[in-house]
Amino acid sequence: MRKLKSYWVKILIFLSVMGPGIITANVDNDAGGITTYSVAGAHFGYTLIWSFIPIIIALVIIQEMCSRMAIVTGKGLADLIREEFGVKVTFYAMTVLVFSNIFNTISEFAGIAASAELFGISKYLLVPICALFVWWLIVKGTYKSVEKVFLVACLFYLCYIVSGFLSKPDWKMIASSSISPQFHFDKAYVFMLIGVVGTTIAPWMQFYQQSSIVEKGIKIENYKYSRLDVIIGAFIVNIIAIFIIIVCANTLFANGIRIETAKDAALALKPLAGQYCFYLFAFGLLNASVFSACILPLSTAYSVCEGMGWEIGVNRTFKEAPQFYSLYTAIIAIGAAVILIPGVKLIPIMLISQATNGILLPFVLVFMLLLVNNKRLMGKYTNSGFYNFFTILIMAGMILLSLILFFTSFIK
Amino acid sequence: MITSIANATKMFIFFSELMDRPVLDKDGRRIGEIYDLIVKPSQVYPVSDGLIIRKGFPNRKYALINWQDIERIDKEGCTLKTQGSALNYIEVHDDKKELTLRRDILDQQVVDTYNHKVIRVNDIQLLIVDHALMIAHVDIGGRGLFRRLGFEKMVDLIVNLFNPKAKYLKNEHLISWKYIQPLTINPVSMSIKIDMPQKNLTNIPAADLGDIFLDLNINHQIALFKSLNLANKAKIFTNIDFKTQRLLLEESTDQQISELFNNIPSDEATDFLEKLPQDKTKHILNLIENKYSKRLSQLLGYSGDSAGGLMTTEYIAFAKDTPVQSALNQIKERKFKSEPVQSIYIIDETGHLINATNLRRLIMAGPEEPIQNSAFPKTYFVRLDSSVKEVAYLMEKYKYFAIPVVDENNILQGIITVDDILSQLIAFAWRRLKKIKIFQAT
Repeated sequence: MRKLKSYWVKILIFLSVMGPGIITANVDNDAGGITTYSVAGAHFGYTLIWSFIPIIIALVIIQEMCSRMAIVTGKGLADLIREEFGVKVTFYAMTVLVFSNIFNTISEFAGIAASAELFGISKYLLVPICALFVWWLIVKGTYKSVEKVFLVACLFYLCYIVSGFLSKPDWKMIASSSISPQFHFDKAYVFMLIGVVGTTIAPWMQFYQQSSIVEKGIKIENYKYSRLDVIIGAFIVNIIAIFIIIVCANTLFANGIRIETAKDAALALKPLAGQYCFYLFAFGLLNASVFSACILPLSTAYSVCEGMGWEIGVNRTFKEAPQFYSLYTAIIAIGAAVILIPGVKLIPIMLISQATNGILLPFVLVFMLLLVNNKRLMGKYTNSGFYNFFTILIMAGMILLSLILFFTSFIK
Repeated sequence: MITSIANATKMFIFFSELMDRPVLDKDGRRIGEIYDLIVKPSQVYPVSDGLIIRKGFPNRKYALINWQDIERIDKEGCTLKTQGSALNYIEVHDDKKELTLRRDILDQQVVDTYNHKVIRVNDIQLLIVDHALMIAHVDIGGRGLFRRLGFEKMVDLIVNLFNPKAKYLKNEHLISWKYIQPLTINPVSMSIKIDMPQKNLTNIPAADLGDIFLDLNINHQIALFKSLNLANKAKIFTNIDFKTQRLLLEESTDQQISELFNNIPSDEATDFLEKLPQDKTKHILNLIENKYSKRLSQLLGYSGDSAGGLMTTEYIAFAKDTPVQSALNQIKERKFKSEPVQSIYIIDETGHLINATNLRRLIMAGPEEPIQNSAFPKTYFVRLDSSVKEVAYLMEKYKYFAIPVVDENNILQGIITVDDILSQLIAFAWRRLKKIKIFQAT
């Protein structure tokens, strides 16, 4: 009986700590991510599923360091970079972050526009409505209420799992291909692999997660629950990605259909997997895009104000935190406006957003490694030698991949 | 030249203009660059005491230079009186106990006790006095930011072109050091050294002090709380949210908790205690002075939205034949813990509420008269189980700042002040209070 009670206490503590890790990971499956996974599934079937195992490990290790830094120091990543590396480094890092997140936000609004077309609604109606909703949510909400909305949005990702089951997958094949990795040495396959891995870890994630854990004020005794939050987040996000691949592999790959975007994927699904599968897929895209369009501008405004020492908004008025609200509003406005330009080309936007992510990521990862090993900041919570070895290995891998992605996106 | 510095009576220089400038020894050999400045406290403005220089890349090495060994220091760099070979270079640089500008102030968060805000320092303005540098102002504005980035001249030029009278050019973002409280946590004692007299913090209205406190990160909160005196501790504790209150208590010793609770008003104490789990409440009540803890546990028995739950047990009451002069003296001598002094109650030997008066009536009355003569003809009260609505209705109707609460035998138990009722009503009317413009006269 006593055991049962302590079990409940643990669950309650976890529920109060839960949030930042799961939310950050889920935003990773944004419009860009869904597009990448759909194309991967449609063109290469189940053969890329194995890559999600190393991705989960990398995601957990990197995001775990963020949550550890947040809890031990009580400061956001931009705060720490400013305090330890000075204003110049911070300023340029923030400039690139703003630039990269503007393009990321545009691609989220592109996702909203695409799902509008799938549902047969005019994008000139849905995009402004979503932009207003996103803006209103943060300006009128508090951190607690916003987090609850985000957690509900995370729940809607389940529709990809349902659509995965609707497409009647071949579980034996999936199991065998995820356990024994097949590697093809053809150019398209390698590019796709880089794309799948590259979209998984983006620089804004570390900033966002660290700030939101700081905002929650989680104590060091509850650190293990925060780590669990990160691990669960990493698993959920990758399981959903796998299901997106499964849906597309099962239907599009099996029938040899080539696609370019998530919208193509949804349209191609309609005759092959049925109405419900189509609607679930389209709704998933809309949810993911709106959700990420909330978080990206918020996270950008947060990090920039942290680093530059400006007042941070969520619970303040416009007058008290003018930079915060201006930046937040501007990013949403630009994101939505660009998509409404008639005949705008989306491929270059996607490429620029990938490229700026690729430039920033190596720096952010190196900063993190230096900070997390700083004894003055972290005390006894620095990385162990073993952990550092793994981290450096993963970072080197991520940096290499994002550099390749950066260069190839221009060569292609 | 030191001589030329001495001649110029007052001159300012920004720390960013010194940072990373070359350091030459007596023979003109370059031995590194300026890295950090160590200051020691003196009256109001800390004075330079030493220089940390840095050399080499990527294997950086640091050396400490005594201020007496410096021949000259300005925008061009620094020249020493001694030979570079005498210096002892080591690999660590941030182990100094003293305040150092680059580690402790620049780019860090500090409390601005003038504007009641937590701010981040973009630059530090130093005053050149005789042979030394003094911290004069911290720069928190955009101009400091541009200066650090190396764009100051360019931006100045552009602003001048469009609007020569721009606010931007008028150093308005410089804040005098005397208002600045650094937040460096001493790694040994885990506390923050309060440089200025704590008086400065005391001048900040309690609600603002609470807001400043909530803007700090957890580690700073714990360290700052530890470092404050009891009065400021009580002020902050009663103006922050429950979560932070709990965190601070978990970091305090039993001795500190008992001191703190003996110094906060009973209504604030019960507000906090009734949200705690029962075993924790018991533990805290055990730590508190016996008489007071009995009263608190009694208060905790009343429901939160009844008059009993809202009231505070600190009030001013006198026996009916107390001479007015003696009553006034007792109030002046602060014999009562009570915060509001405008309402004064008159009771009999067994504590029954007879009447009420106020400070003005007391002052107007003859000093030898019994206090009873100054009383209002009629006094309205509420009972322990009266509802918030009843209390609010009565207070509004009779324009009371405070209303007495009595038990079923008409024995005075406590008072409810208008701010406690207001906070209930505001919570009731708007559910959450935010984004309200606050006007303040300075």
